[in-house]
Amino acid sequence: MTLTIGILLILIVGLLLFVFQVRQSEVVVVTTFGKPTRPIKDPGAYFKLPWPIQNVHRFDQRVQNFEDKMNEGLTSDSFNLLSSVYVGWKITDATAFFPKFAGSSKPMAEAERVLERLLGNAKAAVIGKHPLADFLSTDASENRFAQIEQEILDSVRGQVKANNYGIDLEFLRFKRLGLPEAVTQSVFERMTAERQVLINKSQFEGEAEAQKIRSEAESRAVAMIGDAEAEATRIRGRGEAEAAESLAVFQKNPELANFIFKLNALESALREKSTLVFDQNTSPFDLFRGVGTNLVSRPGKTQ
Amino acid sequence: MPVDSGSQALSEALRSSFVVVKFVMVVLLVVFFGSGLFTVQEGERAIKLRFGKPVGAGEGALLGPGLHWSWPYPIEEYEKIPITAIQTIQSSVGWYQTTPEQELAGTEPPAGPSLNPAADGYVLTSDANIVHSRASVQYRISDPISYIFDFNNASNTVRNALDNSLLWAASRHTVDQMLTRDVIGFTDAVRNRLEALLADHKLGIVVEQCAVVTIPPRQLKEPFANVLKAEINRNKLLQEARSYENQVLSKASADAAGQVNLAEADRVRLVAEVESRARQFQDLLPKYEANPKLFVEQRISEVMGRVLTNVQDKIFVSQGSPGAPRELRLLLNREPVRKTAAPATK
Repeated sequence: MTLTIGILLILIVGLLLFVFQVRQSEVVVVTTFGKPTRPIKDPGAYFKLPWPIQNVHRFDQRVQNFEDKMNEGLTSDSFNLLSSVYVGWKITDATAFFPKFAGSSKPMAEAERVLERLLGNAKAAVIGKHPLADFLSTDASENRFAQIEQEILDSVRGQVKANNYGIDLEFLRFKRLGLPEAVTQSVFERMTAERQVLINKSQFEGEAEAQKIRSEAESRAVAMIGDAEAEATRIRGRGEAEAAESLAVFQKNPELANFIFKLNALESALREKSTLVFDQNTSPFDLFRGVGTNLVSRPGKTQ
Repeated sequence: MPVDSGSQALSEALRSSFVVVKFVMVVLLVVFFGSGLFTVQEGERAIKLRFGKPVGAGEGALLGPGLHWSWPYPIEEYEKIPITAIQTIQSSVGWYQTTPEQELAGTEPPAGPSLNPAADGYVLTSDANIVHSRASVQYRISDPISYIFDFNNASNTVRNALDNSLLWAASRHTVDQMLTRDVIGFTDAVRNRLEALLADHKLGIVVEQCAVVTIPPRQLKEPFANVLKAEINRNKLLQEARSYENQVLSKASADAAGQVNLAEADRVRLVAEVESRARQFQDLLPKYEANPKLFVEQRISEVMGRVLTNVQDKIFVSQGSPGAPRELRLLLNREPVRKTAAPATK
């Protein structure tokens, strides 16, 4: 029992002294008496001689974020453009990285200082090759935003490779774009003028379009009434034509037809509230001339 | 067996110190194995690393809240991750300088005549206008291993990608598209760009939601508001014109229908009347032909009879002697008698 515990303890102490872990997120450089002897990239458990013979230096192997400060660049058409980019970079070659940066107390910060310098140069060079329209354009084929980012990335990558810093850039993108403070004021003035143009346009267009709608409506209304009148005339004409067909019947006896028409006309003319003045020749008042009236006794006055 | 009292004391001492050593060894073992115990709190997760490699893959590698045990270093390690199911990130460029207190109160700092690029964020639109825009994105970590072990600060990387998406989308939209005409298109552009960047960077996250707010510079509030007003006014004018149009057209169409209907009615009446006359004529024709003279006389008398009952005043004038003029005076009062009488009785 005692023995097992003792062996276990010896094992544990041995493990702690002679074995070290490399995490997936790390890259490790083992130094022997201060000289780098072994870089390790892959995670796992590794053997080392105990301190002070061998020492383990760990570096973060993950993608690091770095943003540079806003700085001014001149576009090819002489606009002052402020820009800042962010990059994702990581250590790819610990053996190359170690001698260049491990001397500093903060090797990562040191590497980023180098990056900032490279970025500044690359940005100035690339921005100077493009007009402002390459940065800002509605037309997808003319907008070279992503292309410019790629150009800066390629340039910085080339520098990093050439200097063998043991790092690589995963991505580089713009983080901010801006204009010098004095320019913003004149942009505001231009924007205000553009707004005024839009206001005027709205007013003018609104009135013109409303007027157009009204006058179109009126002319359509006139046309509709005109059409209806024509249609009405046509219908009446058709009525008369149809009536005329029936009139053919009257040809059988025009005399009777005339007589009936006259009678109907007479009847409808005297439907109500009329005053009639007759003389004795009118039928049926001609009866008054016959026997039994006092008119007969005055033959001089009758015919 | 006689025992030497000295050696007996020595063995006593040895035995008791063995007990102490044994006790210390047991304590060391307990401490060693006990150091592998750890708890995961609510709102965080842990990943176990065996010889530096994560145990498990994808979301399966995440240990939930509770008590866990791992082999102590150097066999295993664990890494705690502060995580909530959904993470929220806000863009850090594109908005004017403001403090959380001002945000909460809904107020804003006074606007100067210009924007200081060091302090005030904004984005440039494709028509070289300045607007403020900010995006907030909610995402879920779908691959925690790559999120934790491939990126030094993954949430910063997400924020950077979001900032870039905002710039990129703004650079290909006009100020009016961003503010009014195509707000959805702009938001979609931001989101699509963000998703493309995240996939490119292999961050191992999934975007759940992306919201974008865009406002004109505070310095130009009034001109922008006036454009909206003018547009509203214009729509009002058009609305009025359309309602006038409706009114005119519906009146015209009613009038037109009226005219046509009237004509139709006239036609029907005319045809019916003539037809009825024709029928009457057809009926009467045989009677007339039987004896025209008698028929005519009969008809006249009949009609005269009917007519005379309707006629109000009938005046019969007999023929006077020739050469002697006769005078007839008529005073016609066409008004109904009762109507004139009624007011008189008052």
